[in-house]
Formats: sequence, structure tokens, C-alpha cells
Amino acid sequence: MMPEATGWRERFEDYGLLWGLLLVVCILSVLPLARLLLEGIAPQGELSAEAATRVLSEATTWSATRHSLVTALGGTILSVAIGCVVALVVSLTDIRARNAFVFCFVLPMMIAPQVVALAWLQLFGPASPLLKAIGMAPAMGSRNPLYSPQGIILVLGVQYAPLVFLTLRAGLRTLPRALLEAGLAGGAGPFTVLRTIVLPLMTPPLVAGIALSFVSCLGNFGIPALLGIPGNYLVLPTLIYQRLAGLGPGVLADVSVLSMLIGFIAVVGILLQDLMLSRRDFRISTTSSVARPFELHRWRAPVEAGLWTWSILVLALPLLALILASVVPAVGVPLTLKTATLANYDFVMFGHDAARRALFNSFGMSATAAVAIVAITVPLAYFVVWRRSRLLHFVNLVIEMPYALPGVVLAIAAILLFLKPLPLVGLSLYNTVWIILFCYLARFLVLGLRPVISGYYQIDRTLEEASQIAGARLLRRLVTIILPLVAPAATAGALLIFLTAFNELTVSALLWSSGAETLGVIFFSFQQGGDSTYAAALGALTVVVTTALMLSTLLMASRLPPGVLPWRD
Amino acid sequence: MARLTIERVSKSFGAFRALDEVSLEVADGEFMAILGASGCGKTTLLRQIAGFDKLDSGRILIGDATVSALHQHVPPERRRIGIVFQSYALWPHMTVAENVAYGLTVAGVRDPERSRRVAAALTLVELDGFAERRPALLSGGQRQRVALARCLVTEPSLVLLDEPLANLDVNLRASMEDEFARFHARTGTTMIYITHDQAEAMALADRIAVMDKGRLLQVATPSQLYREPTDETVAGFIGEGMVLPVEVRAVDGDGTCRADLCGHVVRMRCAPSQKPTRKARACLRASDLTIVPPASAGVDARIDHAIYQGGHFRLEAHLEAAPQMRVHLDVPEPSALRPGQSIRLHVGDGWVIPAAVEGSREARAV
Amino acid sequence: MRSATRRHFIFIAGLAALLAGGGVTAQAPTGKLVLYTSQPERDAAQTVNAFKKTYPGVEVEVFRSGTTEVMGKLAAEFAGGASKADVLLLADAASMESLKKAGRLLAYPGAKLAGFEAGSFDPDKTYFGSKLITTGIAVNSSAKVRPVSFADLAKTEYKGQMAMPSPLYSGAAAIMLGTMTSRADLGWRYFEKLKAADTVAVRGNGAVLTAVANGEKSYGILVDFMAFNAKAKGSPIDFVFPAEGSPAVTEPVAILKSTQNAAAARAFVDFILSDDGQKLAVSMGYIPAKAAVGMPSWLPPGTRINVMPTDIVKVSEANSANLKRFAELFGN
Repeated sequence: MMPEATGWRERFEDYGLLWGLLLVVCILSVLPLARLLLEGIAPQGELSAEAATRVLSEATTWSATRHSLVTALGGTILSVAIGCVVALVVSLTDIRARNAFVFCFVLPMMIAPQVVALAWLQLFGPASPLLKAIGMAPAMGSRNPLYSPQGIILVLGVQYAPLVFLTLRAGLRTLPRALLEAGLAGGAGPFTVLRTIVLPLMTPPLVAGIALSFVSCLGNFGIPALLGIPGNYLVLPTLIYQRLAGLGPGVLADVSVLSMLIGFIAVVGILLQDLMLSRRDFRISTTSSVARPFELHRWRAPVEAGLWTWSILVLALPLLALILASVVPAVGVPLTLKTATLANYDFVMFGHDAARRALFNSFGMSATAAVAIVAITVPLAYFVVWRRSRLLHFVNLVIEMPYALPGVVLAIAAILLFLKPLPLVGLSLYNTVWIILFCYLARFLVLGLRPVISGYYQIDRTLEEASQIAGARLLRRLVTIILPLVAPAATAGALLIFLTAFNELTVSALLWSSGAETLGVIFFSFQQGGDSTYAAALGALTVVVTTALMLSTLLMASRLPPGVLPWRD
Repeated sequence: MARLTIERVSKSFGAFRALDEVSLEVADGEFMAILGASGCGKTTLLRQIAGFDKLDSGRILIGDATVSALHQHVPPERRRIGIVFQSYALWPHMTVAENVAYGLTVAGVRDPERSRRVAAALTLVELDGFAERRPALLSGGQRQRVALARCLVTEPSLVLLDEPLANLDVNLRASMEDEFARFHARTGTTMIYITHDQAEAMALADRIAVMDKGRLLQVATPSQLYREPTDETVAGFIGEGMVLPVEVRAVDGDGTCRADLCGHVVRMRCAPSQKPTRKARACLRASDLTIVPPASAGVDARIDHAIYQGGHFRLEAHLEAAPQMRVHLDVPEPSALRPGQSIRLHVGDGWVIPAAVEGSREARAV
Repeated sequence: MRSATRRHFIFIAGLAALLAGGGVTAQAPTGKLVLYTSQPERDAAQTVNAFKKTYPGVEVEVFRSGTTEVMGKLAAEFAGGASKADVLLLADAASMESLKKAGRLLAYPGAKLAGFEAGSFDPDKTYFGSKLITTGIAVNSSAKVRPVSFADLAKTEYKGQMAMPSPLYSGAAAIMLGTMTSRADLGWRYFEKLKAADTVAVRGNGAVLTAVANGEKSYGILVDFMAFNAKAKGSPIDFVFPAEGSPAVTEPVAILKSTQNAAAARAFVDFILSDDGQKLAVSMGYIPAKAAVGMPSWLPPGTRINVMPTDIVKVSEANSANLKRFAELFGN
């Protein structure tokens, strides 16, 4: 018998979910953008092309655009190269201490890029303790090589390599042994297998990684601000900030037009990646067991040495610099047994209420954002990948924008939106943690969506159809079948969101209020006030707390589906 | 009530017509095979029956209920059918028992009833003791059985099998074929079996529907299909039939006629409605051909290839009178026949393919 | 030591409230006051705490960030309707001047300005300088030569060893630029020389301090209190008041026209300009706008600071042209 043969409940669930998700995306991504765009084309409520003409006819705009493209492309290429090599080596070869290395490779993501850049500046500068020790320190007054486009590209590449690494590693974990063995049995060497089987199959996560890295490099403000301002190398985000500081009338209109320029570049980038993904099949039947590692034989030790040297350069040295800076009483005081002090930690932990609050706030908001975004993106990606339509294509693009724009611009858009209490309900989000959380959701949505979409591309859809045939409606299928299958990709996304949001500064710098401080804000306040020892102590504490949190996930690892935690085989 | 009715169903993907006015009636409890080469539309048809895709025109009924029509579409999860997928589609994150139990859980069946039925299903497919394994640790045949158990545990009245043996080795195929046959006998479930392998279809099915280029060519019992194909394509596809032009001279009332094949007049079977015609086509089998001495009645041919096939040779030859007409036959070992040699062939039997009905000609022209 | 000063101050503030007696309490303002400030975090907290001691009826909410961020927030709020802020306490008068020009500031003719120099506040009484933050030369202790004037920095022996805050990103630095370029002895030629000497312009004063204290650069153009506070904590840094004089910003306080609580806002201005407020600035290590209340301990007794006069209206008018020229010169 066929009761309710029309299936209205299924349709209701289907369309309800789809339109619900579209509404969420509209509110998170489209609304702030539209409000900002309005400011650019109709500053006082009247249409005017004046700002657009003014900004677009300035030579600075175009040189900054050119610089943005150079650093974004360069940073992307570098981060993809590093992330790819490391992900392949870690996932496919028999190196030892794999989990420990993965952990150390991912960890630098949560040290703010400015801190890493600062540590490297000192490392390569005249005051470098390392270069001094080996007698290679540049002379006092020589120009630091990092103050250059190459320096920006280098630090961007290093900063976002874990991003490519995480998405690619999630993909590599679904690569079945049989596919590799088939290639090897066909007489292909490991490198041929890599080139002809692994990389083509890994196109979706790779493209996701490339896209994320590109947009991250494009929208990054901290690194070009630290290295590009002294290096006289202006990119769009620093140009926007400069406009804001310029105090002229019509600032917002200029900022809006420049932001749209960044958005345009980001959209072109994403369209290109769509082109790379179209009309190919990347599905992998996941029933075969995970690939057995290639044996490196005599190359194992050198490869391991290379990987750990990397960790020392990118994690250990900046961290050491941070810790050293946090145990001296003031900047530049040489560290000796006599001068060493824990007073900075004491102040940050017990003498400063806001710092403690900020730690809780940042943790709570990053974790909430990570979980909420996974809850949004897993069903959203279902529609984006398996129910293609023009509308969903647009959604896929528009989600990218809040992440591509500098945080300060998104914050301005949020102010414009939420300054007045919400219509109908009369609630005001302004000056609460909720407006910051809203921005986190809007900004980091894409960090969750990209890995999850790449995860979907690798699922054989009959797995879902099998459960549909078994009678499961959409929501149940999403929870019981699809979520476990995309869990590795979703965790990678959640991790990216958490680590990025945890030390985020540019959004909250405009939106925080008493009680709604974030770590980034406090860190920035300390640094700006010249209290960089407090800032260092806070930074070091953050690293310790997050490391502990990340390690604690190992405790419940046995209850998670395999492959979910990047640092656990 | 698991009668399946497919009425003039069409489906296009862009300019490509994947299903072209397909109509099919499957009786309750029948084992129907849908046979065709890859790309013929059989998988599209299966997806229509399952409800994964919406149709462009026509309608599909399960029992008396319309499940697919232009403005009506019962979602797959409401159709209460079972599918065994070609890839098995076992959920890698669940154990065997969880895979099998899923449909019951969804239907609201709770323990102990659920675990009892799961255990029974696993016993049925001889997988006791595998309940807690993960699918990744099973062999191909075991996965196939899990897929079958998962499909059958909810006792669907209609089961679709999508090339279920395609991924198995030859030995396993034979035993799984037996298994399907036993199942069908035991449960009386209506089964739709999609395959490209005619031996499989013949061995298992009550009736076979042959598909080509999105059209249903013929629906008949295996023997009918073999002996009396109504379509040239079917004739050529099933049992390696040879389709040759003949002239029907005279039709006898007993369902036979006299047909002329390059001057060799042969008694062939034909449809009762067959009329004498100069332009007819006949379907011959290898077993219909025998080599006779040059003086006997027959048709001359020249051997192109002689292929040893264990116990016999397969001879491939062309008619001397019409080199474009190719024939093949088997001759027992030992044989001195070599390529290039000339032979005289006697045709012992044949089937005159009925002329296509006007309507289906039109359909082909589309 | 800081906390000792603070306790001392609180005592004074309490005493002052007690002495002022009924006069203050009779018309004591109440309600909520929202302050946007670019003061360093710790200073902002101390200022608010001290203000609350004097006016316990007022509940203060603070938004603190960089000058650019505060101005960005204000711009967005103006565009979105109205600002939530009642009072502003920003690093430089140029920002105030632009707000004044946009008609956003409320004049406070009744401000008690006795003892303040005429140049420290807006003649139209819309904003009032609260302290004097001068810009001079920070020197790393290990540096071989010590400059005595800005002009020294342009000499060859300083080449490549200097950092300065970029006026493109810092309002205070923009005032410094405007003040110095309008002088005959320095002018644009001076900045051209700095550029030729490979001076790097970094994002703010904090970055200059870090660079000089770490020895990455030997010299930096820096605000006085940052150098002296770091020195007091042990950083290897010295500060030189240049012979030409010191460009200065005044960290003005102002009331927004859109204020919801004008009484409390006026009370805040009163507090900043009061002797207590001025002494608070001294205790936090600043030179007060009202010289009579004393000088910070780091300032060697008897030091006469020679402040370069700044015509704030002119500087603010020339600002965008200056920034453009600077950007062209320094490539940004």
C-alpha cells in the first residue's frame, strides 16, 4: 500500500531545508554586501557614480590592485606547493611520528600571522639572535629583506599552507589502496601514480584549498600591513585601511568601491576553480581500505629532517620568540636569569579582567561559529553539489565575499546593518557578542563550505540513494549517512574556522564592547599601547590553551569516525 | 500488490533521449530482466522506477498507485522498494549489522524485533558471524550478500537489482545467480534485474525486456526471445544470431514458410501473419548451419577465420554470392578446415523476423 | 608602583568629591555615557574608573580601538543613522577637526578653561586638548651616535637606521607631518632626505617602539610617553627632545551633537579638564595640557619642552594633499 503517496512531507522537508538555508546565506552573506554596495553607489540615499569614478580613476587603486594580484597569486602558489607536498608526504609515505608532525604543522595557524611575521622580521633582521650566533647578521641599518613583495608572499604562503594541507589531507584519507595499487601494478612508478592517479582524483580538495588560499591571501590585512607599509608596497586591504585613516568625507563610499574591487577579483578566482571542477568525476567508492604508505627507504631520514626543520622554522622559532618576549619586563631588555619574570603572565591572567573574558569570549565564539557553520554547510553543500542550479551557483559565489573583504569592511557593513534594533522583533545586536558572532558566521562560512563541498565531490551518491530507498527522509539521510561520510572534510573546515576565528582581530576591532572583548582586540590593544610583553604573554597563553584543547580531542578520538582528526591515523 | 506498470515513459537529458516511450508491465511476483548494452537506457529506467529522477512524460504505477507522472512524483523513500546497487553502496561507517538494520530503524522497528530480523536476514545470506564487521573488511561476494540482506530485510514487494553481479568473478557469479533464483522462489518478490549479460538474464528471468537506444525492443520469455526475436537488433544481440536477407516465397498455415537465401530454399519458422515478400530478414543460429558436400543443396561460403574454442572450432565465413553477408558456425574437433577454404552450408532452421509495425518505425525515426 | 600612584589618585579624587560636597551631588549627572577612545587600553580603564569615582551616578561604556578603527566605526554609525557615542577622546585634533567640519560636534561654551593655553583647545569650544603628547627621537641605547635634532637624522651616518610612524595610517603622525612640512627649516625637503636615507614608515607608534627597543632600527620618530614608559620598565631606549622643537598632539575630548546624555558628557569633559583629570594624565605618564598641575616623573626637572606650534585648521585643510604627497614620496 502507498499511504500519502504524494510525498508532501518529503517535499516539505526538501524545500523547507533548501529555502531555510538560502535565507541563512542571504542574511549572512548577501545582506551585509548589499548594504555596503548601497553605500558605494548611493552614499546619501541618492544614486551617484561619483565615488566609483573617483576611486577607479586613481592610479593608486590600480597599482594596489596589481600588487594584490601579485601577492595573492604568489602566496597561493607558495601555500599550495608547501601544503601539497606536506600533505602528500604525510599521508602517503611511511614517515615516523606522523601525528606529531601534523599537529605541529597545523598549530601555526593559530599564532596570529602578525606574530609569525614579527618573529621572522627579528630572525632575518640585524638584531637576530640566530644570525648573530652564526655571524651572519646583517649590518645595523641594512634593509630587512622581508619588507618586500617577496617577503609578503613568503609569509602569506607559509601562513596559509596548513589551509591547503588540511583540505587535501581530508581528501587523501578517502583514497583507497586499490587505486594506488592498480597504478603500481600497471608498472607505474610512485611519481607517475602520484601524477596520473592521486592528483587528478584529489582535484576537488586541491581546488578547494587553492580557492581558500587565494581568497585568504587576497583579503589578508595583517601581513601586508606589517611588511608592505614599511616596504612601500600597497595592496587593496591596506589601501582601504589607509582611506579609513584619511578622514575625508565620503570615506565609506570609497571603501565600498574598493571592497567591491576585491570582491570582483575573488569572484573571478572562484569562477576559474568552477571551470576546473566541471565535467569530471572524482567519486571514490569508499569501501576499500585506506592506502598503504609508500616506503621511502633511504630517503626517509632526510625527508623527516626536512619536515621537522620546517616545523622549527615556522612553529618553534616564532613560538620561542613569543615566549622569550613574554618573560622579560619590557621590550628589548636582554633576557638573563635576573631579568626573567612571570609578571606579564600574572598580569594577563589575574590582573586583567578583560583578557580573561576575552579568552572565554573568543573560545566560545570560535567554537560556536565552527559548529554552527558545519551545521549550515553540510546540508548546504548537499544542494550545491547535488542539486545544481543557477541560484545555488550564485550562493556558492556570494559566500566567498565576506571572507575576501578585509575584516574592517565587514565590520562596517555589520554596523550599518545592526546599528538600529532589528525590525519586527526590536532586539538590538549592537554592542553585544552577537554582532561579532554574526560576522564570524558570515566571514568564515566559506572556510567550512569549501572543504565540505570537496568532501561531497568524493562521495559516491548511491550511498545516499541506498538510504533513500531504505525510506530515510532528507534530514535523517543527512545525519546518519552523509554527515559521517563528509565528517573528515567537515572537521577540517571546523578546525580552520576555529583556529582562524580564535585570533581574529580585524572584525572585532570595530565591533567589540565592554564584556564582548576578543583575544585579538586585547592583543592588539597591548601591542598598540607599547605593552608588547603583555601581548606576547597573552599570545603564548593562547597557544598553550589551544594546544591543550586540540590534544584533548585525542581522548574522544576512538568514538569518532576514522579519518576525522587530521592528527590521528 | 507489487505489479509494476510503466506507460509510455520518456526522459531526455538535453538533446539525448535516454528513454523513448517505454512501456512495460511486470506482474506480481515476476522476475523480469532488463537486458541491454551499456548506454541503452536500462539504468535510466531503473532510476525512474526508483524515483531518483523525474520523468518527462508517461507514468509509472506500483500496484495501483501512480508513483511517477508529469506532475506527480512520489519520492524514492516512499516507494517501499528495495535496490541492490551495482557498487553495493554499503555505508562504510556502519557495521554489517547496522547496514542491514538501517531500513528497519527508519521504519520505526525497534529491538528486539529489529535485531531478530537482522539476524534472520544475515542467516539467509549465510553471513552469521559477520554482523560486527565493517564493509571494508569483506570480500566482494560478502559485500554483495550484505547488500542483498539489507535490501530484503524490510521485505519490499518490489526489488530492483542493478547489475548486481558485474563486479564479481566468474565462479562467484554462478553461485550468486543460484542465490537470486532461490530468493525469488522463496519470497515471491517482484524483481527487476538490470543486466548487460544475456546468459544471466536467461538463467534467472521469467521474462526479459531487451532495450536499445532508449527503446524497449521486445519483452518475452527467454526461449521466445531466442527462438522468435521480433526485431533485428534483438536477433543479433541474443545468442549471437545472424540476420540475413531472405525472400519469403510461400507461407504455409502451420507457422512455417519457404524462404530463399541466395538461391538456397529453406523451410523457416515465421509468424502466422507473415506474407510472402522479397524483402524479409531471417535470424539464423550457428546450430542451424551444417557443412554438406559440395553437390548437396546449400549455399557456398568461404572461411575467414577458424578459432579454437575448446572441443570445437568457431568458423567465421562470408557467402560467396554476397561477400557482405557473414555467417558463423561451430565444427567439432578435429577439423582440417582452414581460412580461405570454400565450403557448402546447409541451413536446417531459421526464423523470419516479422516486419516492424508502422508505429514503432516512426518511433525509431525520432 | 603604578598601582600605588593609582591608589594615591583615587584618594585625591575621593577627597575632591567630598570637598566639592553637595554642589556636585545636587546636579550630579546620571545615566549611561558612551565613550569612544583611542587611548591605550590601560589609560582608558584608569580614566573611566577615576571618572566614575567622581560621578558615581554615571554608568560608562567604552569602545577602545585604534584611531582609524574608531573613526571607521563613527563613519559607519553616521551612515547608518546616528552614533551611539556621547563623548570622544581621540589622539589627535585633526580627527576632531574633520568631525567638527562635518557638524558632528557639540560646542561646550561653559568648559572651564582657566590655566589652559589658548592653542590647546578649539576656539569654538567643540574640542579640548587633554594632554600634550610630543613627538621626538627615540634612540636605542646601543646606538653609536646620538642625534640632537631632527635635522641630524638626515645625515649620512644615520642612513637606513630609522623608523617613523606612517601618517597614512596614524592621525598623530599626520599632524606631525603637517606641522613639520609647514616649517621653513624642515619642510618637504626634510622628508625627501629621510626617504633618501631609507627611513621606513611603519603602521604606528607601537611598531616604532618595538623596532627601536629590539634594536632592529637604532632610531625612531616616536611619541614621548611611549619611549619613557618603556625606558622606565627597563627597555634599552632613550628619548631626545629635538632642538627644532617637538610637534605635539593634544588628545582632545569632545561631545557629539547626537549625544543622548549631554549632562554626563559635559561632566566627562569637566572631569578631563579638571585638576584631578589633569593629575591623572600626569600619573599615567603624560604631560598635562594644564601645565600648573605638575609634570610626569620621567621628565627631568626643569626641562623646557619646546613645542612646535601647529595651526590645526591649516594642517587639517592641507591634510589630504600632504598625505598624497607623502604617499608619492614614500611610494605608498
